[in-house]
Amino acid sequence: MTQTDKLDLSVQIGSLTLPNPVGVASGTFGYGEEYAPLLDVNTLGALYTKAVTLEPRAGNPAPRLADTPAGMLNSIGLANPGMEAFITDKLPFLRTLGCPVIVNVAGSTEDDYALVVERLGSEDGLGGYEINISCPNVAHGGMAFGTDPALVERLVKRLVSIRDRAPGAASRRPVIVKLSPNVTDIGLIARAAEAGGADALSCINTLVGMVIDTKRKRPVLARGTGGLSGPAVLPVGVAVVYKVSRAVAIPVIGLGGISCADDALQYLLAGAVAVQVGTAIFSRPETPLEVLGGIRDFMEREGVSEVRCIRELL
Amino acid sequence: MKRFDARITALRSVATGYRELRYEWPADLPPPSPGRFFTVRAGGRYDPVLRRPFAFSAWSPGGAGEPAEASFIFQVRGRGTRYLAELDTGDTIDVLGPLGTGFGKPRRGSRPVLVAGGIGLGPMLYLANALSIDARDGLCEAPVLALGFRTASLIPDVAMPEGTVICTDDGSAGYRGTVTGWLEGYDPGAPPYLYACGPSAMMAAVGAMAAARRAPYEAALEQWMACGVGACAGCAVRLRTGQYIKACVDGPVYDGNLVDWGAML
Repeated sequence: MTQTDKLDLSVQIGSLTLPNPVGVASGTFGYGEEYAPLLDVNTLGALYTKAVTLEPRAGNPAPRLADTPAGMLNSIGLANPGMEAFITDKLPFLRTLGCPVIVNVAGSTEDDYALVVERLGSEDGLGGYEINISCPNVAHGGMAFGTDPALVERLVKRLVSIRDRAPGAASRRPVIVKLSPNVTDIGLIARAAEAGGADALSCINTLVGMVIDTKRKRPVLARGTGGLSGPAVLPVGVAVVYKVSRAVAIPVIGLGGISCADDALQYLLAGAVAVQVGTAIFSRPETPLEVLGGIRDFMEREGVSEVRCIRELL
Repeated sequence: MKRFDARITALRSVATGYRELRYEWPADLPPPSPGRFFTVRAGGRYDPVLRRPFAFSAWSPGGAGEPAEASFIFQVRGRGTRYLAELDTGDTIDVLGPLGTGFGKPRRGSRPVLVAGGIGLGPMLYLANALSIDARDGLCEAPVLALGFRTASLIPDVAMPEGTVICTDDGSAGYRGTVTGWLEGYDPGAPPYLYACGPSAMMAAVGAMAAARRAPYEAALEQWMACGVGACAGCAVRLRTGQYIKACVDGPVYDGNLVDWGAML
């Protein structure tokens, strides 16, 4: 029997140590402040911010959401206040948190990504970058980057070299690349990101989907398609993590459809070192903490003292 | 704001396809003001994943051993509302609230004109009752509540303020025609202060009237929501400037004269 206080829940992502493996996924948790009244943000393993782009983005036309069987579609379109407003208005609160903050970075061009990573390199209080090359809901950039291995390697290489030149501790922040499942061979993209120097990968972003209103005879979302998330995508994400974690040597962070500890454990057994809870937060904001509790219970039950060893059980 | 499990104290049918649900309000939460809303998990643990937003239709403080109580009226329309309709008194619902920005007060001396279409009547009933008290205190003229329905069988069996105007598209009760049709011929006798909640076409028509009369217009917006707390930007509503607001935190009550109603149709 393993004692709870002896459990080692920490996770290493490059030079960054996460206190535990359960983070909250980009786009579902805003910039932390929104959900702070509903759960103790400090107890999270990591907070992945809503995407930040160089310039402010209004986002896509409404409606942006649709209800689907055991899931939802979103077409937010990376709505965000832009890098400078993020630094001025959002970062001060994020700096007060006890959990690592990983900024999700998105862009339309390689320069967009580069300028954001460069600028954030001179700001303290950040744990790392999650490079979003997998957003399915924008016309330029986003998923277009994440489906071409040569582009992925070049972009990641450039961002890593910018990161390396940052002052002080910022030069050691991990660059995590968030991958799209909307590709023929995700292993190919994963290896390209690894070759570019990525410290870790996040799998998966949402799957492209559409809901049609049969009364009005038109798609529910103004943009037509959106990204599918929620319990419905869980087995897709688990399969991707299983594949990708065997294709690369860098750590893989699993996300997609996690609603309870058992879902998260599937990812950890499949080969993920950490997980992110996303859509389930909308339904039950306390889900990340319940997931963490369930992982602890599992480790005690199975006699596993280090969370990083869970994958060895498969 | 908090998430809590609330006991249902009453659930009854109030019209064809319409229900009123009342639930216990936690003693440690302030009363929700009219126009604010809450979300409820309407189903199992996994499905549907999106909580359903509803505006409060009433709130009572309880007392004498009775708990405070919040009410809302909903139409049984999809799987979330079907789930709610099948619950019983004594069952619990998972509530997140109170959320959002509610109605503001009318200008002194103005006539509050409250326009509702279909299920939009919930928040308007709550507002009308609050403004009746303000009118008695001399803060505004007596409010007028105008409700539009397709037909008489859809008019909810709920207490309505004296002088409530009923409109039906088919003329089966009250004024024959749309509520905005009625509004066109209405003389408020004082500068009107418009409030509305209902289908987009009705909201747009009230918007056109507000612009023509240069009247203030507080619109209660309806939009699908995911988080309800301003985190996801899913419930965006377009303004005439091309900018978007979040219905959940900037609204649901927002200046109707600024909303791009064309984009809502």
